[in-house]
Amino acid sequence: MRKSLLVVVSMLLLVTSVLAQAHRTVTGKVTDESGTPLTGVSVSIPNGKSGTVTDARGVFTLSVAADVKSLRVSFIGFEEKSIQLSSDNLGTIRLVPDTKSISEVVVVGYGTQKRKDVTGNIASVKGASISALPVQSFEAGLGGRAAGVQITVPNGVVNNPPVFRIRGTNSLSLSAYPLIVIDGVPTFSGDVGSTNAPLNPLSSINPADIESIDIAKDAAATAIYGSRAANGVVFVTTKKGKAGKARVGYDGWVGITSPNRLPKVLNSSQYLMIKNEGLANAGDARRYVANLDAKGDTINTDWMDIVYRDKSISQSHSVNVSGGTETSSYYLSAGYTKQQGILERNDFVRKNLLLNVDQRLGRAFSVGGKVSYSNENSLISGSSGSLEGEAFNSGGLARLAFLTSPLVAPYNNDGSYNVVDGGIGGGKNTLPVGIYNPKTMLDLDHSNTEAHHIQGNVYAEFKPFPWLALRTTYGADYVIMNNDMFQNALTGDGSSPNGRATSIHSDYKRWVWTNTAQFDKSFNQHNINVLIGNEQQRDQRERYGLRRDNQADTYFNNTEGGFLSDFSTDLLRRQNYLLSSFARANYNYKEKYFLSANVRQDQYSAFGENNKKGVFYGFSAGWEIAKEQFWADSKLSEIFSSFKLRASHGKVGNLAGLGDFDALSLYEPRPYGGTSALYYSQAGNPDLGWEVSKKTDIGISFGFLQNRITGELAYYNNNINGLILKVPQPPSAGIPSSTVSATVPANIGEMYNRGVEFNVNAMAITRKDFTWNTGFNIAYNKNEITKLVGEVSSIPFTTSTLEQTSVNQVGQPVGMLYVVRTNGIDPATGRRIFINAAGEEVYFNIAAANRYQYADGKVAPAVGVKDAVAYKNTNPKFVGGFENTFRYKNFELNVLLTYQTGFYVYYGSYAGLKDNRYWNNSVDVLNRWQKAGDQTDIPKIVYGDNISNGSSFAIAANVFKGDFVKLKTVGLTYIIPDAVVKPLHISGAKVYVRGQNLAMITKYPGPDPEVSSNGNNASGQGIDRNTLGNGRTVTLGLNVNF
Amino acid sequence: MKKVKYILPLLAGLAMGCQKDLLDNVPTTNIPDTKAFDTKERVESQVNGMYTVLKNGKFLGGKVVIANEIRGEDYVNEKANNVTLNASWRMVTTGEAQEVKEIWSQGYMTINSVNVFLAGMAAKGSSVTGKELSDNFIGEAKFIRGLSYFHLLQLFARPYVDGAGSKLGLILYTEPHTKLGNYSKARSTVAETYAQIIRDLDSAETMLPKAADQVTRANSYAAIALKTRVYLYTGQYDKVLTEANKIVPAAPPFESTVGYKLEPNIKNVFVGNYTGAEAIFSLPNTEAVNDYPGTQTQLAYYFNPTALGGNGEYSLHPSGIISDASWKAADARRKFVVTAGNKSWMNKYTKGSPYTDYVPVIRYAEVLLNLAEATVRVTNTVDARAIALLNAVHGRSDATTVFTVADFATPQALINTILKEKHIELLGEGFRSMETTRLNATFPSKSSTVAEVTPAMSSYIWPISSDELVYNKLCKDN
Repeated sequence: MRKSLLVVVSMLLLVTSVLAQAHRTVTGKVTDESGTPLTGVSVSIPNGKSGTVTDARGVFTLSVAADVKSLRVSFIGFEEKSIQLSSDNLGTIRLVPDTKSISEVVVVGYGTQKRKDVTGNIASVKGASISALPVQSFEAGLGGRAAGVQITVPNGVVNNPPVFRIRGTNSLSLSAYPLIVIDGVPTFSGDVGSTNAPLNPLSSINPADIESIDIAKDAAATAIYGSRAANGVVFVTTKKGKAGKARVGYDGWVGITSPNRLPKVLNSSQYLMIKNEGLANAGDARRYVANLDAKGDTINTDWMDIVYRDKSISQSHSVNVSGGTETSSYYLSAGYTKQQGILERNDFVRKNLLLNVDQRLGRAFSVGGKVSYSNENSLISGSSGSLEGEAFNSGGLARLAFLTSPLVAPYNNDGSYNVVDGGIGGGKNTLPVGIYNPKTMLDLDHSNTEAHHIQGNVYAEFKPFPWLALRTTYGADYVIMNNDMFQNALTGDGSSPNGRATSIHSDYKRWVWTNTAQFDKSFNQHNINVLIGNEQQRDQRERYGLRRDNQADTYFNNTEGGFLSDFSTDLLRRQNYLLSSFARANYNYKEKYFLSANVRQDQYSAFGENNKKGVFYGFSAGWEIAKEQFWADSKLSEIFSSFKLRASHGKVGNLAGLGDFDALSLYEPRPYGGTSALYYSQAGNPDLGWEVSKKTDIGISFGFLQNRITGELAYYNNNINGLILKVPQPPSAGIPSSTVSATVPANIGEMYNRGVEFNVNAMAITRKDFTWNTGFNIAYNKNEITKLVGEVSSIPFTTSTLEQTSVNQVGQPVGMLYVVRTNGIDPATGRRIFINAAGEEVYFNIAAANRYQYADGKVAPAVGVKDAVAYKNTNPKFVGGFENTFRYKNFELNVLLTYQTGFYVYYGSYAGLKDNRYWNNSVDVLNRWQKAGDQTDIPKIVYGDNISNGSSFAIAANVFKGDFVKLKTVGLTYIIPDAVVKPLHISGAKVYVRGQNLAMITKYPGPDPEVSSNGNNASGQGIDRNTLGNGRTVTLGLNVNF
Repeated sequence: MKKVKYILPLLAGLAMGCQKDLLDNVPTTNIPDTKAFDTKERVESQVNGMYTVLKNGKFLGGKVVIANEIRGEDYVNEKANNVTLNASWRMVTTGEAQEVKEIWSQGYMTINSVNVFLAGMAAKGSSVTGKELSDNFIGEAKFIRGLSYFHLLQLFARPYVDGAGSKLGLILYTEPHTKLGNYSKARSTVAETYAQIIRDLDSAETMLPKAADQVTRANSYAAIALKTRVYLYTGQYDKVLTEANKIVPAAPPFESTVGYKLEPNIKNVFVGNYTGAEAIFSLPNTEAVNDYPGTQTQLAYYFNPTALGGNGEYSLHPSGIISDASWKAADARRKFVVTAGNKSWMNKYTKGSPYTDYVPVIRYAEVLLNLAEATVRVTNTVDARAIALLNAVHGRSDATTVFTVADFATPQALINTILKEKHIELLGEGFRSMETTRLNATFPSKSSTVAEVTPAMSSYIWPISSDELVYNKLCKDN
């Protein structure tokens, strides 16, 4: 080792000495467009070794050989400039901000790389493009901004994690969410709260603090994260200080959100007509009657008005201070945001601090770190019915808003709450009118999660030689949560326990210790970069709760107050450990031929004893053809300024979402009549191991006309083996399970995602006063399950453990809608026509002795879930975005359209909206069948019928195309002229107006085809069951820099 | 090159410091299978654990009782909620229904927990506990398995009387299932299933302690008492006599020498946590966390009106058994019928949230009535001892009525009276549906939309869980 180091060092000395020739000294000053000096700008001789950086005043002095004709001036975030050495004093060199992604630096695992050197597939999104969006977490703003990235905001509950997919769905039962790495530390994702208010840990980051987001998609770019890379890796880099004078910035906005496309339901006279018609048709003598309010007017309650906010207000403010010298830099920011959801009582509040510090010590050492703290409050009254598992909650507010009869009011005429026996009272009606009184629950209940989220890391770096960097980083990520719930005793789920308060404390704790050594070497235009490292990651989770029932007095509404019965609840303690070593080698020759290899070995505690270790790898190669002589000599060079071919292949894994003890067979303690008892509770699998994705990626990246137009085209093929399926066992086997269907996890499924991505960015117009930048991306993905379990070729999925809506089936994409086919309404009789599994048409009449009949009147077997077929695909074939930015003088207009096409959504709420029990209905039922010959898609109304409409089992009549184009964001910014702001000691200021979700083109009849009742669950996507839609937001913002 | 001296050890140092032992990760909150049979106390906890699985609200501690009640003619469904068995009440339930899936799967989980326990005892547990305890524990396990098969059979198979046990019964397993496997297996016949139940109960009778001192764990007499029920349901009436006579003395007041007798007042049996002399086997609930039934499985939640701490899911049907004129107003059992909101409610279970009433599974009154009915059927006479047994049960709640031989023109008339007595006595205790099907009787109509269900109809018994049919291709639906 020592010998070889010696050789390398002497070679270096040799190279340097060869270069020693006659010299001259040049000086200059580098500033940005506004004339502010830039510090730390690298000034170098093209293709040469010697160079310098600018000082705090932006000034540089460099000794160069006499024959050097030009200098290269480059700085992160700015366009590189080549300066002809016309004289020794070059005066002021103004750099313009870089808007072409192709020349940026991108974050790769454990380091950075120049965009042009990257041979893996990495998409980058600038922090600025999402910094001022009215979203709670940054990833909700990524939709449409990068090819192959699909973001679905599943509902309008604030702080709900979006559905995040990169290049399709890459897992069935584990998480399909990408790995999120924040400043080098992998963080938590998903909903980590324990209440009805979701808590997305990623919302602890103020989007305004984000410098860049780099999305690694192929095996080459992700393999350094080995067993966690299969869903892609998202690198988030927060802002750091830049050398130069201290800067102070303020960014703030206020906004109004309003509910969008809510279903229209019957008023009380329509309700009376429809329900009483149904009772008559059912041969039932009972009738609904109108109620009168205190003034004697007929009660006609629009429950939507009670459950939804007409206008909700949001605001966000952040202040940052940053600066630095040649040896140190700092960035400190503080933020506050309060965002109201469209649902009453649903709020998100975040206060956060971020400090990034870097310090060089002498020539070889540097140390630094980051501390971020956020306090987040996710607030809601109770179940919205929108989170995973909530769809059929009796108290789900989105459903109560459309289900509850308009005949009754929230209050009795004496001003008390309208509640009877824990439910909503019907006034003069003895027939049911609803479930619970939502107003009472909105007024009295709460279900809040407060999180303290601390993320930090410290690093020390030692560079004994210019070509060697040794680095150790210790990172920690702690989410400490208090969940605080109360359910009143009058109505709702709290009435049976006579009032219930619950407090749950929950911790997510992680530490990560990473040690790397990096070698960088260039000689004879061979550039070599080698990284080796090891890493340990330890996760610990703990949760415990106290539930108290039997409220002693209506005054009390928290667990510390007066309640009579105490119970422990939500107990959990888990841990896992990931031990890894990894290496990467990058090589290029003349920045023309590129080779890269990554390898990582992971050992993970949660896998079975026979399968704890895994090795992952990625290889890639690139060829910058535009740098070849033959290309330069040809006409092509006049068109293409760069043209790079690249290809990669690798093997990566997935472990996200696997339970820490899923591989073990366990016994659970649970008392039996007050004595200790222990029962067999889990069948494990000692062979349980990684899900393995073998990914191949082939792409071209190109630039035309001095990179005025740049783009990328990529084809990928991802074959996934060993998908962990919770393999369903016949219930008769008696394998233990806390749910009805027992499963054992095993690496057994196979699936692929194949697709093509294309994106192009163009500076279409670059006049002095007017510029137009346009970017378009599109991704096509095909997903197919190729193997499930042995003879079982389909595994159904049940939404919220109640309604079978989806199926994973061999030969089909993941999460097909699994519904009973329908063939409209029989015009002669008004009966729903089902198509059973055998393909026969079966007519249904709930009032008949034989409810199911064939067309000829013969009795047919009952139609049910067993007749369901894999009906339609829920995976968008195409997703993408189209962004345009126009600048005219001081105005900037940014318009982002996003789209998804080629998929279907099951509008399960629509079944409820046509339910012929006491439920209120969509105004669509006014168009019901009434007499022979009526052509309609709404069957004859028969009170009590919950089958024709699809409440009993999912039917095809409630499946709709989900294709949409959304006007996702429109932003108009006005940069306040210097003449106005300079006298105020302000270096720059702008005001802006933004609209979010302003318009949508879709044939989907529900509130929003971007929806998911099953959250991020891969197998249950495309379900819209009793879910809150998304709001439409307009914000007004101000950005000031001092 | 001095620096290299420092770098190499530094690199080596950084690569160390990993904690490989953390890779062998076991929970601190659950006991791994490798340690499950380590101590005598832990094995005994496992015995209790089998009862824990049995008494789950999805099975015998809740929905089995509820389903048997509401399939019968005695209730009106108030909430039209399929989660609380509306479809079962309307006799239109499907294999996808929650209660069908839950009872089927929880029943088999109970059976497998027994099979896993028995295998563990053979491998290690018996040597840890010693033979005497081991025999007791194994006897309890077999009792639990027999009881579980019996209750699954009542809902998911044709009654024995239909084809003398030749119809499809249950899928029978006595071996443990602890890992991924191919568990497809066809259903045995009803007769074969009953044969397995009897094998378990015969074995349990010999292995269990002969002491009536515990109610929430099985003893030898519980196995005998359960056999009186099993033989009654298979029409082996002579064997009912054999079994019942092991614990019931020949003459009134029928106070068993082993310690069982009727409570003087039936009210004492339903105080919530009754373990007195009338109880033979009950499932306990307490306020300890996880020691009470889960959401929407609690008996008092279903049958009590909200005013009494329930959720008013099912009121008593005005034309059900409460309308029977022979059930006199002064009968002490009428006290279990309460009125709220102009409706009648079954109020044997009284404890509100978290619903800690014990669930009676076998009580002495049932054994007496089983014996009475079997006696009449065996002798085919208006048997005096049968009448005495009937009077013992009826008389303690209604002393004004004393049946005599003269009251019954035929043995069938006596049987009918015994059956009605059982209907009244066991109302709310999960017998109605299985008492109907065992005789191949028709379920009466409950409303204009819920018509009568005759034995010929497919809805007479439940369909098999749809999950079973999907994952076990050898299993046939009903």
